[in-house]
Amino acid sequence: MIHRGKGIGCMWYPIGFTAAANPSAATVKVNEDGTATLLTGTVETGQGSLTVLAQIAAEELGVSTDDIHVVSADTDATPMDTGAIASRTTYVTGNAIKLAAEHAKQILFEVAAPMLGVQPNQLEAIDRKIQVQYFPQRSLPIADVALQAQFVMGRPPIGSASYNPPTVGMDPETGQGKPFSTYVYATQCAEVEVDDETGEVDVLYMSAAHDCGTAINPMLVEGQIEGGISMGLGFALQEEMLFNDLGQQLNPNLTNYIMPTSLDMPEIDVDIVENFDPTGPFGAKGVGEPTAVPTAAAICNAIFDAVGVRITSLPATAEKVLMAIKDKRLSNQRALPAAE
Amino acid sequence: MVDETKLAEKQETVETLRKVDDDLRLPSVPERNFFPKEIDIAPARLQTPAIGQRATRPDGRLHGLGQTKYIDDMFFPGMLHAKIKRAGVAHAKIKSIDVSEAQKMPGVQATLIGSEIPVNSFGPSLQDQPLLADQVVRHAGDGIAAVAAVTEQQALDALEKIKVVYEELPPVFDPIEAMSEDAIKIHNNDSNIYASKTIIKGDIEQGFKDSDYIFERRFTTQMVEHVPMEPHASIAEWDANGRVTLHSSLGRITLGRADIARTLEMPINRIRIIATVVGGNFGGKNEITTEPIISLLSKKTGHPVKCVFTREDEFISSTTRHPFIMDYKTGVSKEGKILARKVRIVCDGGAYCSWTETTLGKASILSAGPYNVENLHVDAYAVYTTKTVTGAMRGFGAPQVCFAYESHMDDIAAELGIEPLEIRLMNAFNEGSSSPTGQVLESVVVSDSLIMATERFGWKEWQK
Amino acid sequence: MTDITLNVNGEVKTASVPPETTLLKMLREDLNFTGAKIGCDVGDCGACTVLVDGLAVNACLMLAAQANGKEVLTIEGLSTLDKYHPIQKAFEDVAALQCGFCGPGMIMATKALIDQEQELTRDQIKDALSGNLCRCTGYTKIIDGVIDAYEKITGRKVPARNPRAA
Repeated sequence: MIHRGKGIGCMWYPIGFTAAANPSAATVKVNEDGTATLLTGTVETGQGSLTVLAQIAAEELGVSTDDIHVVSADTDATPMDTGAIASRTTYVTGNAIKLAAEHAKQILFEVAAPMLGVQPNQLEAIDRKIQVQYFPQRSLPIADVALQAQFVMGRPPIGSASYNPPTVGMDPETGQGKPFSTYVYATQCAEVEVDDETGEVDVLYMSAAHDCGTAINPMLVEGQIEGGISMGLGFALQEEMLFNDLGQQLNPNLTNYIMPTSLDMPEIDVDIVENFDPTGPFGAKGVGEPTAVPTAAAICNAIFDAVGVRITSLPATAEKVLMAIKDKRLSNQRALPAAE
Repeated sequence: MVDETKLAEKQETVETLRKVDDDLRLPSVPERNFFPKEIDIAPARLQTPAIGQRATRPDGRLHGLGQTKYIDDMFFPGMLHAKIKRAGVAHAKIKSIDVSEAQKMPGVQATLIGSEIPVNSFGPSLQDQPLLADQVVRHAGDGIAAVAAVTEQQALDALEKIKVVYEELPPVFDPIEAMSEDAIKIHNNDSNIYASKTIIKGDIEQGFKDSDYIFERRFTTQMVEHVPMEPHASIAEWDANGRVTLHSSLGRITLGRADIARTLEMPINRIRIIATVVGGNFGGKNEITTEPIISLLSKKTGHPVKCVFTREDEFISSTTRHPFIMDYKTGVSKEGKILARKVRIVCDGGAYCSWTETTLGKASILSAGPYNVENLHVDAYAVYTTKTVTGAMRGFGAPQVCFAYESHMDDIAAELGIEPLEIRLMNAFNEGSSSPTGQVLESVVVSDSLIMATERFGWKEWQK
Repeated sequence: MTDITLNVNGEVKTASVPPETTLLKMLREDLNFTGAKIGCDVGDCGACTVLVDGLAVNACLMLAAQANGKEVLTIEGLSTLDKYHPIQKAFEDVAALQCGFCGPGMIMATKALIDQEQELTRDQIKDALSGNLCRCTGYTKIIDGVIDAYEKITGRKVPARNPRAA
């Protein structure tokens, strides 16, 4: 018989390294036409980080994402970066880039100020223009200012900066301290069907509400969450490296190490929780790792709701779930009162 | 605009050339690899302000056209292929390694064993892992020797000819067994416990005394592999200035460069790492693997050397997610408020440390869940076992402890007859809550996320 | 060595390869088509999917000799000088690919599916892509991309899934 169940998994997760320096540096070079080149030592490992980082630089300079070209991941050419690890890229590298772009923008402001007859601190960069705050009609195209800066004033608008999240070391005895600058929060809910004759679990649907501070690129945030859920589902139900008595792995291949395929994935609805972290670049935190954290919990709680068995050891394979169902039946039988 | 006449003319010329080539079998017409010359930019990429835009990815376009060059898609003139011989035994002393027969195999240009590496150890916190094991094997996937040959197949064939004599040592696979005092010491330390963390907040004993109910449960999790679709890959080219250029699938190049410099005893500025687009990381590509080995093979041979992990290498030799054993004890009031929690974590730390210390730290801090727990005691240990290396993987211990604290939460809710959503909302962190380490939390939205996810799910209306 | 002549992306190609050479190795190493990827080399992951006479195959499981005289279409042959193939365009628009390593195989499997000109449901799409592994995306946006491309190419509609809550 098929039983349906629902379950919640809720979690929190930190951004960056644990009470250890994990700096990023960045350089932003505004070209003579107002487009810009961003140099970063981080590595694009699939998340879309380079696009998100371009959006951060673009926002600070008041230009569009497509105006930014990103040069990344070459130790000869790009500045120091701790790397694509610990869900830190948007927050830490992003903060470094925002600061670097701010430095470059400051040069543009100083060059534009006399052109517009105001002080540099009265200017803002918006819609590819340098304009006087509250007086949008008094503006110059960013291209004109960049050209003036480089070829007339001899001040190429280049900014470099670094960022390291502030932390306080943990007390070795009690663990007390401030190990991370900030955290994100999330909840996922799962709906499952459990077949009590085979122990098979089918995850039908998942809703996921994740906090990442400001979503710099909602489409890429959704992609992270959907992908995290698939990894969480594999962790919950399928994946396990198995070893023989000699310590040799029995399933070192994708034939016998089972990971989610398109058929295993539930329908997913993603919501991004509105939030703003004042310490992040434009309020952003991060989203990479946390997406894979609460899935297994939500699924196992849904199994519990469906058939009343608590899976305490992952993965919740069909064999394991079936065994638990049988054990429960057995103990229920024992609990029956004696026949008259 | 495309000039149709010119295009037609060009097409005709190409056709004629092709005919000639076909007759002569000369490949003078390039492979067909067309892409539109007029670029098409998605509106979201052109919008200001840039933040919040669903901007498409320039790299995503190249992926879809098949034009992204991953490491394995790069070929350099004279490039050799390296393969690594794996131990196959879990724990052993290496008595001898004989590569002489392998060196005589067709196509083989060079071999490398651990004792030829200037500093044969690495690791992000403890440098306890050899690049190629030269004294002791600590898990079956340990590399023993490397071969560089003209083709991959030749390199694989030559691996078969490497003779290794082992003196087998007893393996230890169970972390609890490995913790005992009389267990064989995998790294010759006093204990196999190589990292520990403690978090103490409030008064745990008092918290349990004040509790109406106490719940206890053990949870365990398994070893999991990252399975990036692109296996680890790198290419090394040693040049006449004593510099090495590495194309690598490494996700943290600045720190990786320092690690490589240390193993090769080279100044950092003689090493260049170019990380191309990495075909999936998930924490598994945050460590150097074969980069120093192929650098030395390139130095020996004067050729660029490529090494791409087989899928089996990927499983047995790269890092994995730590299996955890977690004992949870939680005291709650009859209303469902958590008053005290004691957590004990044993983290199966595999053969080498890798990112275990970070994993243990994050797991400990996060183990109480996103809930206000005034009285908390967490003890966590990482233990060496003679199994595959465990390291960073998406979540650094968080998926393991979340499985435990959230399963435990539903156990409590069920026993007390409280709705799972309600018990969470009752205990959730709020703005200004104090974390297990005493940190005042800001931009906290636990309740918002609970409400949003359950509303989307239709939690309250949902029926079986 | 075995002489192989086959048509790749509309061009006749010849190569002389050792008899054990797979179609995948020949495409990548002898003909420089590196779009098809080596993810497992044993037919588990689908990253090497190409079309042989219109059918999706794992190029790592087919010997080059078996493809002799056949028509092979690889990811490099999909777009033209004027326009992207609608599948490529759809995948880019919805951010279907993340690390992209599964992408060429996924897109070729999608092409084989759409070329069958059937009415499609979400379940049939999931079924057709089940031989192509992806670790990044959870397949969700890939399926969105397939539906988008299918609807544009065929003018048909894939029935939407039931919405959950407002």
